[in-house]
Amino acid sequence: MNAQDLPLAAQASQLQESVEAACGRIAPTWPLDQLIAVNPYWGWVAHRSSDAAAQLGVLQGTRLTAPRPLMRSAWNGGALRVQHLRLACEAELPPAQVPAAVERMQGLLASDVPEAAPCKLPLLADLASGRLHPALSPPDALTHQISQHCAAFFDDGQAQWHPDRAQGLWGSWRHALASDAGLTWAGGRAWLQRTLDVWPTDATAALSHGLSRLPLAPAAWDAYLTGLLLSVNGWASWCAYQRWQARLQGRDDDALVQLLAIRLAWELLLEEEEQLLRQHPAWADTWATQGSAAAALQAAQRDDWLLQHAMELAHQQQLARGARVAPPEASAEPASIQAVFCIDVRSEVFRRALESTGPGIRTFGFAGFFGLPLSYSPVGSALVRPQLPGLLAPTLQVSEEGVGLGMVLRQQRQRALQWRERWASWRGAAVSGFSFVETCGPAYGLKLLARSMPGEQVPARWESTGLPTGGKPRLPSTVGLAATTDLAAGILRAMGLTSGFGSLVLLAGHGSRSDNNAHAAGLDCGACGGQAGDINARVLAGLLNDTEVREALIERGIVIAPATHFVAGLHNTTTDELELFDTDEIPAALENAVHRLRSALAQAGATARSERAPGLGLESDAPAKSLLASLRKRANDWSQVRPEWGLANNASFIVAPRQRTRHFRLDGRTFLHDYDWRQDHDLSVLTLIMTAPMVVTNWINLQYHASTVDNQRYGSGNKLLHNVVGGHLGVFEGNGGDLRIGLALQSLHDGVRWRHQPLRLSVFIEAPAQAIEAVMSAHKVVRDLVDNGWLHLLRIDPANARTETWSAGQWRELDLSE
Amino acid sequence: MNTTDILRADWPITLALAAPFITALAALACRPTVAAVRCSRLSLAATAAALTVALLAMATVLVAGPRSAPWLRLDTLGATVLLLVAFIGWVIARFSRGYLQGEADETRYARWLLATLTGAMLVLLANHLLLLTVAWWGTSFALQKLLLFYPQRAAARVAAHKKLLLSRTADACMLAACALLFAHAGTLHIDALTSLPKGESLPLVVQGAVILVAFTVVLKCAQLPFHGWLIQVMEAPTPVSALLHAGVVNLGGFVLLRLAPLVEQVAAAQVLLVMAGTTTAVVAALVMTTRISIKVSLAWSTCAQMGFMLMQCGLGLWEMALLHLVAHSLYKAHAFLGAGGTVRETMVGKLAEPVVPVTLARSLLGAVGGLLLVAGAALAWQVDAARQPALWVLGAILALALNPLLAGATPRGWLRGWASAFALAWLYFGLHELLAQWVLPGVGATSTLWWIPAIGFAALFALQTEIRLQAPWTRRLYALFYGGLFLDERVSRLLFRISPPHHP
Repeated sequence: MNAQDLPLAAQASQLQESVEAACGRIAPTWPLDQLIAVNPYWGWVAHRSSDAAAQLGVLQGTRLTAPRPLMRSAWNGGALRVQHLRLACEAELPPAQVPAAVERMQGLLASDVPEAAPCKLPLLADLASGRLHPALSPPDALTHQISQHCAAFFDDGQAQWHPDRAQGLWGSWRHALASDAGLTWAGGRAWLQRTLDVWPTDATAALSHGLSRLPLAPAAWDAYLTGLLLSVNGWASWCAYQRWQARLQGRDDDALVQLLAIRLAWELLLEEEEQLLRQHPAWADTWATQGSAAAALQAAQRDDWLLQHAMELAHQQQLARGARVAPPEASAEPASIQAVFCIDVRSEVFRRALESTGPGIRTFGFAGFFGLPLSYSPVGSALVRPQLPGLLAPTLQVSEEGVGLGMVLRQQRQRALQWRERWASWRGAAVSGFSFVETCGPAYGLKLLARSMPGEQVPARWESTGLPTGGKPRLPSTVGLAATTDLAAGILRAMGLTSGFGSLVLLAGHGSRSDNNAHAAGLDCGACGGQAGDINARVLAGLLNDTEVREALIERGIVIAPATHFVAGLHNTTTDELELFDTDEIPAALENAVHRLRSALAQAGATARSERAPGLGLESDAPAKSLLASLRKRANDWSQVRPEWGLANNASFIVAPRQRTRHFRLDGRTFLHDYDWRQDHDLSVLTLIMTAPMVVTNWINLQYHASTVDNQRYGSGNKLLHNVVGGHLGVFEGNGGDLRIGLALQSLHDGVRWRHQPLRLSVFIEAPAQAIEAVMSAHKVVRDLVDNGWLHLLRIDPANARTETWSAGQWRELDLSE
Repeated sequence: MNTTDILRADWPITLALAAPFITALAALACRPTVAAVRCSRLSLAATAAALTVALLAMATVLVAGPRSAPWLRLDTLGATVLLLVAFIGWVIARFSRGYLQGEADETRYARWLLATLTGAMLVLLANHLLLLTVAWWGTSFALQKLLLFYPQRAAARVAAHKKLLLSRTADACMLAACALLFAHAGTLHIDALTSLPKGESLPLVVQGAVILVAFTVVLKCAQLPFHGWLIQVMEAPTPVSALLHAGVVNLGGFVLLRLAPLVEQVAAAQVLLVMAGTTTAVVAALVMTTRISIKVSLAWSTCAQMGFMLMQCGLGLWEMALLHLVAHSLYKAHAFLGAGGTVRETMVGKLAEPVVPVTLARSLLGAVGGLLLVAGAALAWQVDAARQPALWVLGAILALALNPLLAGATPRGWLRGWASAFALAWLYFGLHELLAQWVLPGVGATSTLWWIPAIGFAALFALQTEIRLQAPWTRRLYALFYGGLFLDERVSRLLFRISPPHHP
């Protein structure tokens, strides 16, 4: 059935649905200065992962499972064994088929048979072959044109001269294409102008206009429009980010729809240019049968999904065996020092090292933004940025105080910043660049020399540019005591830290340090919106040390002894140093405890560094001092493309008391969140964990996964070719092409082998079955992630420490036999 | 004089020759079978040695004066640029050691990096036009290998192919110039050629040869409309871009400086250089302001800066051209290697509240004030206006350039801006005096072509002001400049009709 056969009203609603569906499939991408991990399949979580993979394969040519060579090396290395293959088959196939499937998979692992290559359905542009551009094929030429235009339209940090943006993306694009004399059309530019003039100025109307001229069945619109957006997935993701941000603020944004209109217009332009439909009369039919193509691909990929599952089972078994060992009884008396870290996998290595320094230290895992819904505005600056996960909208704005002098300081800083801007203009303005080079150019020789020999110094935070000294970030005084206390009580409950406070409680955020790194924010704390977590830690410590807040907390049943002090810290994940903040506020009585904490942190840092050293190509048995020196230099080295491994190789998330995991090594592969189900009577904490940190870990996990299994479409490619777009929007790989999303190859691969093993996240929760099921049934997003195979949900039975897997709507014990 | 005497007399040249010799040996040692780590260590050691040699060579020139031999020469000009290239080479080798770690073909990279440096350093030491031409070709050949470091990238192949076609055209022009010069003078020794009798007009053959050299330089320095390849070679690792933009593309300027006494006597070559240079500087600078990615923006900037350098050569402002060559190299190498810091720079920029809007009055006031400051600085250095009117045009360009600094909003900001602007103007003429006295004594002409850049830059300033004021008529111009006047597409179509890029 063609569009013409549908009544107009039905056609309009079908169009509306298809556009909404196609746009809904695109996950957002954050700008480089707030680079948080995103699950790029987020728009597909309502589908089974294998089904989504097949559809994406047909629409885009991508694949979701680990490449076979990676599986083979796990098999040859002994990590993947027959029992894992059997378990995977048993979980997914009828018993009768299991033996044959296991045998088939063994065959696949022993041979060099490559995986089924997805065959992408052609868009009209893929069929075009004309000489539109002197050097680019039509699909590349259109990607180039759209990409360059989007960049000019959205740029707010690079160019000094911009196109007219008043007409929106779609309107300005029509103008830009009409004036592009670099493309040669058979009918000339006059023809192009006439053709473009026919299109409606409204983007949705334009989509309707465009689709009405294609012989596609309305049932295929959804898939076709999705395919169009996926062909410019980078900019589509950027537009999806605009929409995401608008919706967080209760507005909406239709740049994505306008981009879709642009891409559809290109299809029709090329079709008219080359009469593609006449040359390929069966084109519309291939889209009508898109569903069956996807089904066929899904069948062909079945074994890869089984292998993928088997790899994940191997990892789960390892963890479940560790968790099964009865944990030693917790000592009755509270630890004198308690330290709360981010759930980030990098914390695990450091926490284990810190715990090993002595019995008096207990560590906790909690989301690194410490539950504070903050945005941060560096004092005296025009910048405001979120300091919380991208899923949430900030409600409180913090800034530094205690820097004194208020207005005077603000003016002083703005003067310094304005001068910097004027200097930048003297460097970069069209008339100025020549004289700038002749007077200031020679000084860059010294800069080259200095940067070629990186030292160990700690560079200043860029947020402090133009500030004489740093200040303490604090909540604005306008937030009342009741609200502050509610916030504090909620956070302490969620942390599971409502009694038994030690004398010192360290709240440790984390951040990384690297130089000359466009993706630096990607190594910072994702829970803090791709920033270092010190702001949040310092605000929370200030809150909990406030005597008024403490008094008010007593009414809410939380008693913090006057002798207890909260101290904020920042774990530098590149050098494994931990800096403490606001130590001038620590009472003198705690001098000994602080001293102990400092020496334990130093010792833990050394242990963690030597554990991480081999992965960074350094000697693990090098003297502690020289190892620290080389890591500090590495952090300041402008030529270093692998300052640290970030969250590479993440594979699991354990939600349980630390006691459950304290006795074994998790190799920095596991997110750890403390949770005591006995304290969580109304399941509010479990609900929070499963709807927020679990989603965030899924985003991180699938970002690494996608960038590894298909770096070309979901990763940002080679860092050596990165070319920052719009000052901070994203990167191109090389001259141009589409905007690139995801992680660089250098963040995943060391030149010899992959440093990330693409496993879907295995979430272990220590809680009664009914509790977990209750949360799942109340939250569709959790059900989608679990039931559709975007992560594995496992349960550690608090009674007997056995591990069960949630599979097809029921719990099944995880087989741990060797 | 026996051989040892020659050796003794020419020992500074022999010393300087050690720089390209070391890098050439190291390049040969980087065979495909040698481990990547060893090659990267070797290239670092070789460039460090070359840098040491270049420093020593500079010292000997300062102490013992210039030397020349039949094929090679060492003077302040050569030693200065040799030091520059060796320094850039060392910085790049050091940067590449970490940056390329884990790349599949580090060995090939090290080899061609060293070969490119060898070629460039030979150009700087050559006293024979044929040697210079061959070394220049060799530099381009070796660089081509680096530009194709990722041969699987289609865009890399297209850009490299375009460069190949233009470079070979340039080489042909250079060879033709050699042939003409040899036919007339019977020699290709540069010191002999540049001391051809002055005063009377040169024979047409020689004039033709010099025009060919100027055209070669226009091609090699990526002047409009032959700039496309320079803009599109971001398909190779960042340090290759740094090498190209800081150590290779500017060799054209050096060749002109070498042949300055000849160029000064050929008015047509000067007109070509000033016209091509000014046009490129003005247009490319405007196109640069529309670019949305850092590396491409830097590439357009190089294109413009090379235009400015050629314009200075055409005007006979040789000392300023040399200053431009060296200073731009250092700036651009840093800008490319540090391009990953763009995000941080952008964010620091966002800390500042929006700047005071530009007004026409402010711009004009700034322009007049700038002229007064510059005039003051020139007087302080007793610059002789009558001798070099073109220098006053450069001074005026500087005055317009300082405009952003003069736009202070508060009295304090105003004072800071004006004081800095004066200091910069003073530095500008100081550097001019230094180079005129020291590096290139005796060269310098009274060019009558100063009106070309005067018009060009006045127009650029007017246009820039109108763009900042968001005058409606500039909207219509935007698409044209965003498309780079669509010059490259036209030239590419023509070039690829002759020889299409190879698609495997």
